[in-house]
Amino acid sequence: MRSARTVATVALLGLVTACAYLPDPPAPVPTSVVPSVAPVPTAAADGSQLSPDGFDAAQRMAVRIRNIGCGALSTGSGFALDEHTLVTNRHVVADSAELQLSTYDGRDVAAEAASTAGLADLAVVRTVDALPAAPVLADTDPQVGDPVTVVGYPLGRQLTVTDGRVVGAVTDPLHANLGEVLVTDAPVEPGSSGSAALDAEGRVIGVVYAKNADDMSFLVPVSTLRAMLGDDTAFAPAPTCG
Amino acid sequence: MTGPSGAFPDPGHPRPDPPVSSPTAPLPPGWAGPAASHAPGTPLPPHTPAAPPPRRVSRPTVVLAVVLAAVLVTCGLVGWRLWTTTQAWEETAADWESLARTHGEQLAQTEAELEATTGELEATRAQLATAQARITELADEKAQLGDTTAAQQQLADYQQRVSQAAGQVATALANCIDGQERLIGYLQDAASYAEADLARFRADVERVCGAATDANAALQSELSR
Repeated sequence: MRSARTVATVALLGLVTACAYLPDPPAPVPTSVVPSVAPVPTAAADGSQLSPDGFDAAQRMAVRIRNIGCGALSTGSGFALDEHTLVTNRHVVADSAELQLSTYDGRDVAAEAASTAGLADLAVVRTVDALPAAPVLADTDPQVGDPVTVVGYPLGRQLTVTDGRVVGAVTDPLHANLGEVLVTDAPVEPGSSGSAALDAEGRVIGVVYAKNADDMSFLVPVSTLRAMLGDDTAFAPAPTCG
Repeated sequence: MTGPSGAFPDPGHPRPDPPVSSPTAPLPPGWAGPAASHAPGTPLPPHTPAAPPPRRVSRPTVVLAVVLAAVLVTCGLVGWRLWTTTQAWEETAADWESLARTHGEQLAQTEAELEATTGELEATRAQLATAQARITELADEKAQLGDTTAAQQQLADYQQRVSQAAGQVATALANCIDGQERLIGYLQDAASYAEADLARFRADVERVCGAATDANAALQSELSR
């Protein structure tokens, strides 16, 4: 009898052990398996930046400048530095009786005062109305081979975006700037003077001011622009013809 | 594989117990064994078989029976548990399938809505691109009109300056001519006037004519611009 009891005990233990190895009953099925917080999809990597009207920041910061002189009329380009300041070339705003500004979408912006730099072909214009957008200045000058994008109004016509690369740095052939200037193969035309030259991240790396017969464009490097903006005495009221 | 054969006992079949017989008297010589029937004349004592001893169930049999019972009970319990668990899993699987179908329908509907929305988005993008191009064109047209207006304003200003200068030249020349005619008349009757008055009048006429000359120079300068 004792062995039978032992066998029964062993069998009971075996039963318990076997039950322990059996799969558990399934958990109740939830009513929904949709997560309460869905992962946010990443934005499309096409480089486009959202804006109120679909124009990208490079276009929104561009400004068309009409220089009404004394018996002369010329056009140039510029770009916003902040909400009420734009940067262009000295020769774009020089000898003017009136400056007329317009944005990428044709809105007129009243100009308040223009100042020109003595040591570089640069000028700043204060505006009464707010400018749509302003870019960021790059920290350093670009290297040879870096891509460059020029946004401006060649020949005073439509706003145009052209691409190229930095070819090199030379002493200013026009002797309008102190120090070296950048040479790029981005196509520009008369009227492109004052256009912003942007790097791949949309930062300003220079200001277009000239071109040569080989269709090479010349830029005032951003380091010169930063130096001029950082010097309170660098700019003086622009000469007028009136 | 088969089991051993030959003289070995078959383990699957219990060996039968040897036959139990009662002791008998020794057989006389010449007898080979019991005959099929008793010989007449020799009564034999009645044969009374001995009662068999009580069969005792062996201990391994009991153990095996208990083990078998325990195994059967265990199998029954495990089977019941498996059956209930299977039932629960079947119900759960059905619920999951229902839930999956529900979400599948929702996914299909969402995909259809996404496709429609994507189509609308593409159309909207195309419209936006067209609108942007039109805005740029309109901005350019406005700028060109502004340039034309500014140029025409400059031309109007120039023509106004030229006209004004020409008018001043004409007026000055008329005054000059008038003064010179009057001076000629005075000189023809010089005896009637004081010489000092004639000299002063001559100086005035020369000043007026000088002004006409200056106005003409200004006009020529304006025309040369």
